[in-house]
Amino acid sequence: MTPFKWYRVTALAGKDARELLRNPGAIIPAVLMVFASLFPLFLVIFLVPMIMGKTLEQSGEFSEEAANAVGRIPELAGLSGNALVQTFLFHQFSLLVMLVPIVSATTLATHAVIGEKQSKALEPLLATPISTIELLAAKTLTPFLFALALTWAAAALEVAGAIALGEPGVWRSIVGPRLLILFGVLGPLVVLASLQVSVITSSRASDPRSAQQLTALLILPITAVFVAQLLGLVIVGPAALLLGALACLILNVVLAWIGVRVFQRESILTRWR
Amino acid sequence: MFDARVAVRDVSLSVNAGEIVTLLGPNGAGKTTTMRMLAGLILPTAGRISIDGIELTDATAARARGSVGLLTEAPGLWERLSVHINLLTYARLQGVGDPAASVSEALTHVDLLDRANEIAGKLSKGLKQRVAIARALLHKPRILLLDEPTAGLDPASARHVRDLILGLRSEGRAILVTTHNLGEAEELSDRIAVLKTDLLAFDTPAKLRNARAGGRVIIELEGGARREFDIAATGEIPAIVAKLVADGARIMRVTPDQRSLEDAYLDLVGAER
Repeated sequence: MTPFKWYRVTALAGKDARELLRNPGAIIPAVLMVFASLFPLFLVIFLVPMIMGKTLEQSGEFSEEAANAVGRIPELAGLSGNALVQTFLFHQFSLLVMLVPIVSATTLATHAVIGEKQSKALEPLLATPISTIELLAAKTLTPFLFALALTWAAAALEVAGAIALGEPGVWRSIVGPRLLILFGVLGPLVVLASLQVSVITSSRASDPRSAQQLTALLILPITAVFVAQLLGLVIVGPAALLLGALACLILNVVLAWIGVRVFQRESILTRWR
Repeated sequence: MFDARVAVRDVSLSVNAGEIVTLLGPNGAGKTTTMRMLAGLILPTAGRISIDGIELTDATAARARGSVGLLTEAPGLWERLSVHINLLTYARLQGVGDPAASVSEALTHVDLLDRANEIAGKLSKGLKQRVAIARALLHKPRILLLDEPTAGLDPASARHVRDLILGLRSEGRAILVTTHNLGEAEELSDRIAVLKTDLLAFDTPAKLRNARAGGRVIIELEGGARREFDIAATGEIPAIVAKLVADGARIMRVTPDQRSLEDAYLDLVGAER
């Protein structure tokens, strides 16, 4: 067993990053997805009230759900009227905003091993001293940083939208522990887990589509939570988010262990055509 | 063995420093599998491989991979990136002391220093192959494994690659080559191994041609008379000459009717069909 060397991880991840930067076909759709993820948020909070000529408070939409969430989302304390509903919706949509960049990054990760194989670059790569854990770490690192950049850009755009279009003080109620946990702790861990699943599947499947379909399974539960909280069925507070982050961290460790065990150099080289 | 299928069996050969050994065999004979085993990519299910004094095991495979230069059947370059970045990434993966200097040195070796900044995907097939050879030389391996180095190249590019291989031999490297080109095998090889799952023969090109001659020897006698004898091997010639001399013949010239390497190869491989 050779010792883990970061220089090998950064060498390969750096190569992947360079390839990504030279591939606008991969970057542009991902950036567009960020804007697409923000669209429902701005549609519901600003565009629809503007078209209808009534604020959310006046139309009564989401008022009850926002009032019910006051005790469970600390950032809502002290707010009332339209500001309360807007802040509530910003918090609820944050989960969706966090999810979308993950989808974009997993598309990259599913090509991680399969792409190298398809371009016949995998064999010379495996002929270097790189270990399996280094290879998997390298193949996860670039999509991870890319997803993180997209997620934080989405969060920044969300806050910028609140500053520009929201009721006075709404943005200050958005930037709180819940948003920081969501985008600073839970988000990166979910991103990592989904990328790990993608890379593992990529190392076992010979078709990127099957890898993407499996990764989609990981995103479904989070989507379900988003819909449930939008309907007022559940309110996910900071404590629940931290608990989710802890579960995700355990999942990350388990997935790293599985990844190393299921990656078989021999079958990748001899059975894939 | 792959599952129940035997890929290679009873192959025992060595390659010395400053020697080129060529593996010949039909498609599916186990040449690439042998190369991959020697490169530390796959482990044999039975038997022993020693690379530069290191016995190949699960624990030593990574170290062995670092001491061998492998040219894979397809160049497998990262086509969106420049030649320099392709090689720089590999130099870092190999952990060489000064990656940039190693890249320059390897490119100089294959006479491509002036093409360093070109995008790999835009190079001709012959140039890609030379870049792939440079990649195999980055960490200055004493052992080179070249899997079909001239396959699909035009005659001029193939000539260039063959000259390059001969130059590498003169530097004292041990080189194992696979090819389907018998003329190339004869030109390059100090010894040739004929493989078809089992090792069928392993000898110098001249001895291989003559060992299973199955041909003739033409003996010219004083006065212009000419005698022809069918022989099974060139080893029979001295006895024929001795008998003629004992019978009082005056021998002017003895000419073995030399068979080509192709005849010898087809005899070996065909007999096993």
